[in-house]
Amino acid sequence: MKKLGVVLAAIVLTTGAALGLTACGSSSGGKEGGTLEATYVSFPDSLDPAISYTAEGWTAMYNTYLPLLTYKHASGTEGSEVVPALAKDLPKISNGGKTYTLFLRPGLKYSDGQPVKASDFAASVERLFEVNSGGSPLYTGIVGAEKFAETRKGGISGIETDDETGEIRIDLVQPRATFSNELGMLFVAVLPADTPSKDQTASPPPATGPYVITKSQPGRGWSYDRNPFWEKANAKAMPDLPGGSMDKIEITVVGNDTTQVSDVERGKYDWMQNPPGPDEYTRVKEEFEGTQFRVEETISTYFFWMNTERPPFDDVKVRQAVNYAVDGEAMERIYAGQLAASQQIIPPGVPGYEKFELYPHNLEKAKQLLVEADPADREITVWTLDEPENREAAEYYDDVLRQIGFETTLKVINAETYFTLIGNERTPDLDTGWANWFLDYPNPNALFQPLLSGESIQATGNTNLARMADPALDAKIDELSQQDLSPEVEAEYADLDREYMELAPLAPYGNRATSTFVSSEIDLDEVVFNPTFGQDLTSFQFK
Amino acid sequence: MAAGRFLRNRLALAFLGVFVLIVLFVLAAPLWAEHVAETGPNETHTLEKLAIDGEQRDVVTPEGRPIGPVWFDAGGKFFLGADSRLGRDEMVRLMYGGRTSLLIGIASAAITTALAVLLALLAGYYRGWVDALIARTLDVIWSLPALLLGIALGVSLAVGGLKLGPIELSGGSLWVPVLIITVVSIPYVARPLRGEVLALTRKEFIEAAVAQGAGPLRVMLREILPNLSSTIIVFFTLTIANNLLLEAGLSFLGAGVQPPNSSWGTMISVGEELLKTAPLLAIVPGAMIALTVLALNIVGDGLRDALNPRAKIRLEAHAGRVEPEGAAV
Repeated sequence: MKKLGVVLAAIVLTTGAALGLTACGSSSGGKEGGTLEATYVSFPDSLDPAISYTAEGWTAMYNTYLPLLTYKHASGTEGSEVVPALAKDLPKISNGGKTYTLFLRPGLKYSDGQPVKASDFAASVERLFEVNSGGSPLYTGIVGAEKFAETRKGGISGIETDDETGEIRIDLVQPRATFSNELGMLFVAVLPADTPSKDQTASPPPATGPYVITKSQPGRGWSYDRNPFWEKANAKAMPDLPGGSMDKIEITVVGNDTTQVSDVERGKYDWMQNPPGPDEYTRVKEEFEGTQFRVEETISTYFFWMNTERPPFDDVKVRQAVNYAVDGEAMERIYAGQLAASQQIIPPGVPGYEKFELYPHNLEKAKQLLVEADPADREITVWTLDEPENREAAEYYDDVLRQIGFETTLKVINAETYFTLIGNERTPDLDTGWANWFLDYPNPNALFQPLLSGESIQATGNTNLARMADPALDAKIDELSQQDLSPEVEAEYADLDREYMELAPLAPYGNRATSTFVSSEIDLDEVVFNPTFGQDLTSFQFK
Repeated sequence: MAAGRFLRNRLALAFLGVFVLIVLFVLAAPLWAEHVAETGPNETHTLEKLAIDGEQRDVVTPEGRPIGPVWFDAGGKFFLGADSRLGRDEMVRLMYGGRTSLLIGIASAAITTALAVLLALLAGYYRGWVDALIARTLDVIWSLPALLLGIALGVSLAVGGLKLGPIELSGGSLWVPVLIITVVSIPYVARPLRGEVLALTRKEFIEAAVAQGAGPLRVMLREILPNLSSTIIVFFTLTIANNLLLEAGLSFLGAGVQPPNSSWGTMISVGEELLKTAPLLAIVPGAMIALTVLALNIVGDGLRDALNPRAKIRLEAHAGRVEPEGAAV
C-alpha cells in the first residue's frame, strides 16, 4: 500500500477564484522570470517518474516528465480532466475497448536535444517492470505485460510502435475504463529508451516538460532550469501546456516544519510543499488565509479497517458497533481542522459520491450491538503509524474500543514500514487499525478495487486490509470497472458505497485537507492545485 | 558511621527529600485520578467542555488547541490542562507517566546491577577464558551507541514482543523497555565492577580465605561481595538516574513506552509537537526528569562520600565514554 498516507491527489473545493484557474500558456499578469525558492519537509521517495508513488514526487515531476496524456493544469474538478500531452489527441479506443491508439506529436525533443520516439514509450513501460515500480500493477492489463514482468525478456507484445509515423498501439487483455487515466500518470512518462533500469534520482534523465532537473542531491534538495528545448521545440508542439514563469526553481529540504513556516513568513522561501505542522497550522490559517495560505481539500478517505476474516470482526454487528462508536466530530478536532468528517468510502469530489450517514455517533447503541454480538474474543490489537495526527486518531480509536468493551493493545509502527507490515499476512494479530487512501485519479474504481475487492487480498503488499471478499460485490466492482463513467454508472457506484458500508468492513471517518502556504512575494491566486499532482510549479509567479 | 556521614551532608539529605516527594507524588496518581481529576490517564475528552467560573470551555477547541492549565478553577480537573488534541488530563498523565518512568528506571537499574555484579564476580574471580568471554561481550555491547542499540531493540520488540523460553512479553509491555535498557546498561556497571573484583582477588585476605579451603562460591559471596557493597549501592542510585534518562530518550524517539501509556519521555514527545502554542506540555515532564535525575545524582554522590570518601565512582552519560575514576576500593 505504497501510496497510502503519502499520495496527495487532491481537489480544490474552496474558492470560486480557484476554480477559474487554468494556467494554460504563459503567466497571467505577474512578473516573468526569477527563481522560486521552495522547501520540502522531506526528500521525495524518488525523482524517477517510474518509481515515485508519493505526492511529493509527483508534484516535483509534473512539469518535468510528460506521459502521452496528462491531467489538465487546473485546480478543482477541471484538473481531473485527462488531456493530451506528448500524444496529439486523446486515444482512439477500438476493439470493444481493448485497443488504444495514439500518435506522438511531431518535433518533440528531450532536454538533451535527442528526438522523442514512439518506441521510447514501449521502453518506458518495460522499464516500469524492470525497476519493480509500485505502479506497475496498473499496467499488467496490457497484453504480454504479465509475461514480461516475469521474464523481463522479449518486450511487451501488446505495445506496438512506429517511430516513422509516431503511432503507438496498445492492446489490453480486457476493457479497462480507467486506462486513459492511467496513461496520464507519471509512471508511464516517456523517457529515452536507453535510460538505465535503476532509480535515477541522483542523475535525473532528460526531460520533455518545461523544466529539467539539473541537480539532485538526495536527502538535501534539487534544482530545475528551463528545458532548453521547450521554447525551441516542445512548446510549439504542445501549445496547450503551460510553460511556467520562473527561470529557475530551487528546492531545499528543511526537516522541521516550524522552521519552514518562519522561513516562508520572512521570505527566505517562497513556498512550502507540506502543510504547517499542528503547532502552527491554526495560527498560519488565521493570519494568512486568503493572502498567503489556502486550504486544499484532497480526494482521500481516512478509515479504520477491521479484519473480516477473524474474530471478533468477522461479525457484521461488531463492525457496525465500531462505526457507531467512532465520532467524526472528535476526529475533526484531532486533525485540527484539516479533516472533514465522513462515514462513507467515496470522498466528495469523486464521481459517485452521494452523502449518507448510516452510523450517526451513538456510543450506547455501539455497546448494545456489541452485547448482542457477544464476541468470544475481545482482546484485539490496534495498528497505527507514528505520524502525529494519525497516531492520535488511532489512540482515540483505541480508547473508543475500550469504552465499548474491547481489551486493546495499541501497536505504533514507524511510518516507513507501516504499510509493508500490515500488508503482510504473516504479521501476527492483524485485527484492526488505521489507514488512509488517496486516489490516483478521481474514479471510484480507484477506491473499491484496491480496498475492497477480493482480488486485492494479497500475501504481501495487501491493500484490502479488511480482507473483504463478497462474491456479489466483487462481481459488481469488476463489471463497473469496464464501464465508462456516466450518470448511471455513478449511481451504481453510490449504491456500491452504501452496500459496502452496510457490511461495514471499514469505519471511514473523514477526508483530509492539505494546504498551500506561500511568501508574500508570490501571487497565491495564480497557484494551481491539481487534484492528482498537487501544486503546479508552472503556476507560481511573483507579484 | 557511614550513615552519620550521609546525615551530615545537607545537600544530599535535601535532595533525598525531593526524591521521596517525587515518589510520593507519582504513587498518589490513582488517588488524584479518581477523586480529583475523575479520569484515567488514557481517557480521551476531545469533545468535552469544562465549567470554569460559570463559563463552558472546550477541552480541545474546534481548531484543535488543547486547554491550558486551569489549576483548581475546575476543582482540580485538567490542573495542568489537556495533553494534546485527544484531551487527556495532563496532570493525571504526568503522575502515571512518572510511575512508569520510575518503575522502568528502578527495575532496570536493579536488574542491571544484579546482572553486572554476577558477571563481574565471575569474570574477576575466574579470569582466563571466562573473563575473556564476559569482557569481550561487554565490549561489544559497550561499543554500540546505547541510544541506537536501544532504538533498534525497541522498534523490533514493539512489533512482535519477545518470546524467550518461558519469558513472553507483548510489544506494549512495560518490561520491554526495562529489558532494552538493562541490556544496553550492563557494560556501564559490569566493567568497573569487574575491575574492582580483579583488584580485590589480589588482596591478602582473599588469598587467606582460599588457603583456608574456601570454595569459589564462598569467596565470591562472603569475601568479595561485601567489599563491593558500597560501590554497588552508589552505582545503583546513579544507574537509576541514567536509566531514567535513557528511558526518556527512547520513549521520546518512539522506541520505549508505547502509546497510549505515558511516561515522562513520551509526554515530552507529544508536547514537542505543540511546543510553540503549549510549551508547558513539554517543559513540565522535562523538569520532572531533570529534578529526579539531579536528586538521584546528588543522593548517589552523597552515598559515595559517606560509604567511601576516597572513591571517585562516576557514571557518565550513556552517549559518551563512561569510565569509573579510580573505581578500586
